[in-house]
Amino acid sequence: CENKLIEKPFTVFTPEYFKTPSGFQSGIVALYSGLRFLYGPEGAVTLGTVGTDEWTYADQPRTGAGGTQDIVTMGNYTLDLGNGQILTPWNRSYFNINLANGLVEFAAQVPMSESEKNIGLAEIRFLRALYYLNLVQHFGAVPLDLGSGELKFNQVAFQDMNRLPLAEVLTKNYQAIIDDLTFATKNLPDRRPANAFRLSKAAAFALLAKAYIHRAYSSAKQATDFENAFTAATEVINNQARYGTTLLPNFADVHRPRNDYNLEIIFSVERIPGNNNANEVGNPTGIGGGKGVDAANDFNPDYTAVRAPLVNSATQPCATRNLLYGRPIRRFCPTPWLYNVAFADKENDSRFDGSFRMVWLATQDGGGFRANIDTGFVLAKTNRIADSLNALTSPTGGRLKPYRVIAPREFYLIGGSFAQNIYPGLSKYEDPDKLTPNDTGGRPFPVIKLSEVYLLAAEAAVQLGRTNEAANFINVLKRRAAFRPGLTNAQVEARYNAIRVSPAQMNLDYILDERTRELCGESNRWPDLAIRGKLLERVKAFNPDGAANIKDFHVLRPIPRSQLDALTVPNASIYQNPGY
Amino acid sequence: QTNQVSGRVTSETGEGLPGVNIVLKGTNKGTTTDSDGKYAFAGVDANSVLIFSFIGYTTQEIVVGNQTTINVQLMLDMKTLSEVVVVGYGTQKKADVTGAITSVSETALREVPVANLQQALQGRAAGLEIQRTGTRPGAGAQIRIRGTRSISGSNEPLIVLDGIPFDGSLNDINPNDVASIEVLKDASATAIYGSRGANGILLITSKKGETGDTKVFYNGYHGIGTVANKYPLFSAAEYQAMRNISPWAEGYMPEELKSIQTGRTTDWQDLMYQGAYRTDHNLTISGGTKANTFSLGAGYFKETALLPGQDFTRFNLRTAIDSKIGKRISVGISSINSLNITNGSQFVVGGTMYPILSLSPLMPSRDSLDRIYKVPSGNILDNVTYNPLYLKENNNNWVDRVRRLRTFNSLYGEYEFFEGLKYRLNLGLSYEQQESAQFQASDLASNPSYFRPQRGNTAFVNNSQAWGYTLENLLIYDKTIAQKHRVNFTGLYSIQEGQFYNTSVRKDSITDNFVQFYNLALSTPINSSNTALGGGESRSAIISYMGRLNYAYDDKYLLTVTGRRDGSSRLAVGNKWFNYGAVSAGWNITNEDFMQDIKLLTNLKLRAGYGVTSNQSVGIYSSLGLVSNNNGLQAPGNIISYNFGNTILSGYQVSALPNANLSWEFSKTTNVGVDFGIWENRITGSIEYYHQKTDRIIYGVSLPATSGVTGNFQTNIGEMENKGFEFSISSVNVRLDNGFTWSMDINLFTNRNRILKLSNNVQRDIANQLHVGYSMTSIYDFKKLGIWQIDEAAEAARYGARPGQIKLLDYSGRDGVPDGVINDFDRHIIGNADAKLQGGMTHRITYKGFDFSTVFYARFGGLLISQIHQPDAAYLTNLDGRRNGIKVDYWTPTNPSNWFPMPGANRTVSTEWTTLGYYDASFVKIRSINFGYTFDKSILSRFGMRSVRTYFTIDNAAILFSPYFRQTGIDPEGTGTGNQGVSNPGNIRGGANGVVTISASTPPARTFTFGLNISL
Repeated sequence: CENKLIEKPFTVFTPEYFKTPSGFQSGIVALYSGLRFLYGPEGAVTLGTVGTDEWTYADQPRTGAGGTQDIVTMGNYTLDLGNGQILTPWNRSYFNINLANGLVEFAAQVPMSESEKNIGLAEIRFLRALYYLNLVQHFGAVPLDLGSGELKFNQVAFQDMNRLPLAEVLTKNYQAIIDDLTFATKNLPDRRPANAFRLSKAAAFALLAKAYIHRAYSSAKQATDFENAFTAATEVINNQARYGTTLLPNFADVHRPRNDYNLEIIFSVERIPGNNNANEVGNPTGIGGGKGVDAANDFNPDYTAVRAPLVNSATQPCATRNLLYGRPIRRFCPTPWLYNVAFADKENDSRFDGSFRMVWLATQDGGGFRANIDTGFVLAKTNRIADSLNALTSPTGGRLKPYRVIAPREFYLIGGSFAQNIYPGLSKYEDPDKLTPNDTGGRPFPVIKLSEVYLLAAEAAVQLGRTNEAANFINVLKRRAAFRPGLTNAQVEARYNAIRVSPAQMNLDYILDERTRELCGESNRWPDLAIRGKLLERVKAFNPDGAANIKDFHVLRPIPRSQLDALTVPNASIYQNPGY
Repeated sequence: QTNQVSGRVTSETGEGLPGVNIVLKGTNKGTTTDSDGKYAFAGVDANSVLIFSFIGYTTQEIVVGNQTTINVQLMLDMKTLSEVVVVGYGTQKKADVTGAITSVSETALREVPVANLQQALQGRAAGLEIQRTGTRPGAGAQIRIRGTRSISGSNEPLIVLDGIPFDGSLNDINPNDVASIEVLKDASATAIYGSRGANGILLITSKKGETGDTKVFYNGYHGIGTVANKYPLFSAAEYQAMRNISPWAEGYMPEELKSIQTGRTTDWQDLMYQGAYRTDHNLTISGGTKANTFSLGAGYFKETALLPGQDFTRFNLRTAIDSKIGKRISVGISSINSLNITNGSQFVVGGTMYPILSLSPLMPSRDSLDRIYKVPSGNILDNVTYNPLYLKENNNNWVDRVRRLRTFNSLYGEYEFFEGLKYRLNLGLSYEQQESAQFQASDLASNPSYFRPQRGNTAFVNNSQAWGYTLENLLIYDKTIAQKHRVNFTGLYSIQEGQFYNTSVRKDSITDNFVQFYNLALSTPINSSNTALGGGESRSAIISYMGRLNYAYDDKYLLTVTGRRDGSSRLAVGNKWFNYGAVSAGWNITNEDFMQDIKLLTNLKLRAGYGVTSNQSVGIYSSLGLVSNNNGLQAPGNIISYNFGNTILSGYQVSALPNANLSWEFSKTTNVGVDFGIWENRITGSIEYYHQKTDRIIYGVSLPATSGVTGNFQTNIGEMENKGFEFSISSVNVRLDNGFTWSMDINLFTNRNRILKLSNNVQRDIANQLHVGYSMTSIYDFKKLGIWQIDEAAEAARYGARPGQIKLLDYSGRDGVPDGVINDFDRHIIGNADAKLQGGMTHRITYKGFDFSTVFYARFGGLLISQIHQPDAAYLTNLDGRRNGIKVDYWTPTNPSNWFPMPGANRTVSTEWTTLGYYDASFVKIRSINFGYTFDKSILSRFGMRSVRTYFTIDNAAILFSPYFRQTGIDPEGTGTGNQGVSNPGNIRGGANGVVTISASTPPARTFTFGLNISL
């Protein structure tokens, strides 16, 4: 009868499950799935975006769970350790890291072929490295020992935090990341499947390059870091056929909807457009806190409120939200620097047009506008263009352009007019396949693209003093940027010549400017600046919202209050980052 | 010289009484009467005294003298009727009981014609708190015996039906089948249930057959329900007045303007409320011969609500057969089967009241052609709120049905080795199947769908089944040694096992509405993204050894010692077994010689006991650690998934740590009681005091994110305390020779609950509303002082407020003293929802054939949480002009109310509106008034009937006292637990042990019932 007291559950899985082949694979799936928290949702996008030279908060910043305006306080550097947005990476990473530790530990006991197992292990270690890289770039040193030893599967209720001494732990963090990625470069398949983003050697080399570069700017730096970064990056650049990647001819195609599996993107966090269940989105109209791509809505200006054809017209031709334009949540808007300086040349360089929406078609009939046919309004690239378009009259008198043309001076940029909640909207995450306009997006979210590998290679070259090579890498991107469909080769060449760079121009600031043009809005900017020691300088120079309050210590995020509250040690505050 | 006497013992009605004990006084010699009540007794002389005794009748002593025939008529005795009580695994003379047990007799249960036992028990037993948690038919109740002990585990008492633990709900049991209920309250009484005893026990005994002629009983009633209290709403004129000063700027709808011109108004409550009824019919046939008795019963019960689409139906079949084989073997079977059908409990009940209470009284319900006016909103935003009149015309537009079939069977066999030693085998078998079916039709122009405006159809089916068995081996030794030492030993070995399993499917896009949920494959597309599947399984077992010794010396000194050892599957290997013990003692003081001269005191007994029990609060499988594919996000997106291209895979994550040390929550109870009887037991009663400390309470410690585990770590860490007094008294106030009697039962009790410890250093867990040093139902919020008045404008301005806004107490500040700012530091414990004192009172008056009784129920003290008055919870007191709502007295410059703020007044603190929802919870209610007439037997016998009684009852008769009712016009009893509103105000603990709250719900009915009891 004692046997009756032994539990034999049918529907409950215990950690033993990970020692079976299907459990091992299910654990890997969970690790991939966990990345959805870090690529696309509002918390992750906020951390990578707001309070940088590129972006600041727009007119509808989120009020966080604690009643504080989390996005505002991040953007103006008054954030404290209660800030809700920093919880996204903090709360969503360690349990995945722990699972990865467990899977690595259990792998020896999983009955499957060594080759298959090594691929699995390489995926696990790549993903663990990616989680750590994300944490380190925001918080600095983070625990490698979750309670049962460094990189060990923790199954005890550990209520302390192994973060000290900071420098030593940070060194170990980077070493673990680089070791994991190095293992991945040796064991993953060369290339990803054509229509899926399973990890590949290409991804591992690309991320390894990034990891070396991050470490090279840190206190844990080693002399060979830039050289190693250069080697890893050029391995991919020089063997594109082998690794199954290439730059697309047209920049605008890289992020175009329904073109998510293009060869330029080496690794994306996957989702299926329109399939909320598969994307783990139970409440698609909810904002933040989940796994949906809030980025699809967060950058949208309030197109629905724009009156047309004139500022005082009664008609609002785009008042109806549509799938493509999404929900105008108005979290983030571009800084004047992004618009005026980084993208000073919006003609020869196609990347501004390839990244931003400036034209909205009417979304409803009325006031002379036909839905989806007539232009509702456009944002002019310069005040002069706006003025001249608005001044054109038709032969019969009246305005030639039956739509509204809005001048940059009317945009809601810092220093612009607050009268309109309208500004260039980042179009990279637009998702016409979602089910309702208010839904969160459901497209794969790129983690690393070949273009960034070129940027990493160029940066390593700059730091190694090899400016010729650096300029060559940058000019590959410039040549592609010059291309627009319909231009003749000569026209493209002329445009390329207008924007190409020389070795003499090559320095870290130029690399950062170029990263903006290539990658703006892709949730990387804040760590890109913070890691490279450029955050203070650039925020002070280019972001008036953040300039007043930013201090030296703001290059790291605070350890969240909930973490410290959950510790049972008497002096939990010793684990806090300085300044908070 | 010895003789033989013989004769017949009859009952008060003259029928032969079988099984009467006849003992020759001063000896062990005895006999019993046969099935006709006849007996013969040899070996008596003229000085012999025979003692005739029978349970429930007064004992008679008769001197034989020179009689050879002695016929005796035994009389029923109210005092002795209650003298035997059912205790766990047996029965005991009440005089011998040393624990805290309250009995509720069949008579008491029948005094209120009710849908279920929880209603019948409310206010009827000291220490048993039953709070209503719903007004719809078939709604449950929160039952607590001596308070709350667990934070996350169940606090519901264990129900034991005919000796076997019953895992169903009280709704499965037909009150008419119940012979008695015992409430076991202290550890001495409950320790024999060991790991399941901490929450107290309801021992329910069903009716059995009796030897004698076969009898037929019909018990039935039919009642008509009317609205006890309509919700008080603003009238059309009041609504207009409020709307005109509110911030709502969109203006009136054209139809509303027409109404204003013509004076047309709509009372949505009157339109929607309909007559309700409650009907109950039971037929019982019972009887038996010497060796065999039987009882067969069938019942039908149905209750409808005052709103369309909600009803509860129960069908019952019951069989009990007891049989003696030879002299030493007896066997029996009892089978209780029920089919419950509840309609409207899942989504109908939640989606009905809000529009009825919030629709504009200026909007018409029907158009000029008398067709239902589809969207009767008084604002342009609620354009998908359809007319609730569609609820009255279902047109197959929805199904909301829960069907539950339950069979509960117990079998026993008993063998008597020799007099005093018995072996008994009990076998309990139960099976339960429940289907929850929901369907909501797609919205069609020709057939608007109230629950799916502008959307397609959707269906949900959840099927579950549960089975279980209990096998018990009992050895019972019962012996009186040397006349003065009465010993009873009960030994037990038992095993219980049960399994639960369910499967659910949610599906939309069903091809046509008439399909409903009957074939979910008839859909387009077959696998839409809104298909969701669910399921689960759990199995648990308990193995127990128990021993109990009852010892009584000379009927004066009583001792009960109980020990139990339980092994449970829920706990980790190596940690499965725990021991429980209890000891209690009693002293029947009135049996002492020195008391014999005190005639006033018929009975005086002291009792005291101490023991340990535990609560099976550990979830099944929860010590194992958990790997799951649930991501903790919102359904249906809560399954960890990932896709590589179009290939969607499921992932598994560690969601909870294993805890091999996870254990029960243990309660240590001390109980002291006095039982008394005065004036020949015309007044009887008892007073008890108890103190209970529960430790090792399971509390989810939130781990730092860096531990790598997301879920809270469930561990035994909390402590809680309950203590209180219980007082019950029964008295015969008037007893006249002409047969007039007036008797009365009163019970009063208190319970103080306090959390002593939560976690290492957690003093205040606001998210879960738990506060160390305070009750589980504590309310942590701002304190509302009133409304800022015009002459307080200057003071208000210092707090950033102005007249017409809520005035909050500046309780504290950053430095622990009031700081002139209203902010988070000013939240504090402003009270709790526990009654300070509660109880019930029953009066019975009988005269000739007439009987009259009333049942009172009262609670005093504590705060009541009225979510209906919390604007953010119910949206019914927003005063924003957009919709109508509950009538409240709001402030205006000319109306200096201190209740509600000015419509549209800004909040100085974002959550301050919750403070509008706290009221004094005290109330006194007349639960029922009953008036009956029993026909004279001499008339009935001509028609071959034994007895006929008719009665008339009003239940929910009156609210005699309630500050809340007086102020708001709403019934002060709960309508649910936890937050039930449309938006969480964040200050109410929900979940399994949520606090009882009042929200907009089906209005309570006042039912007028006519009933008939016939015995043939």
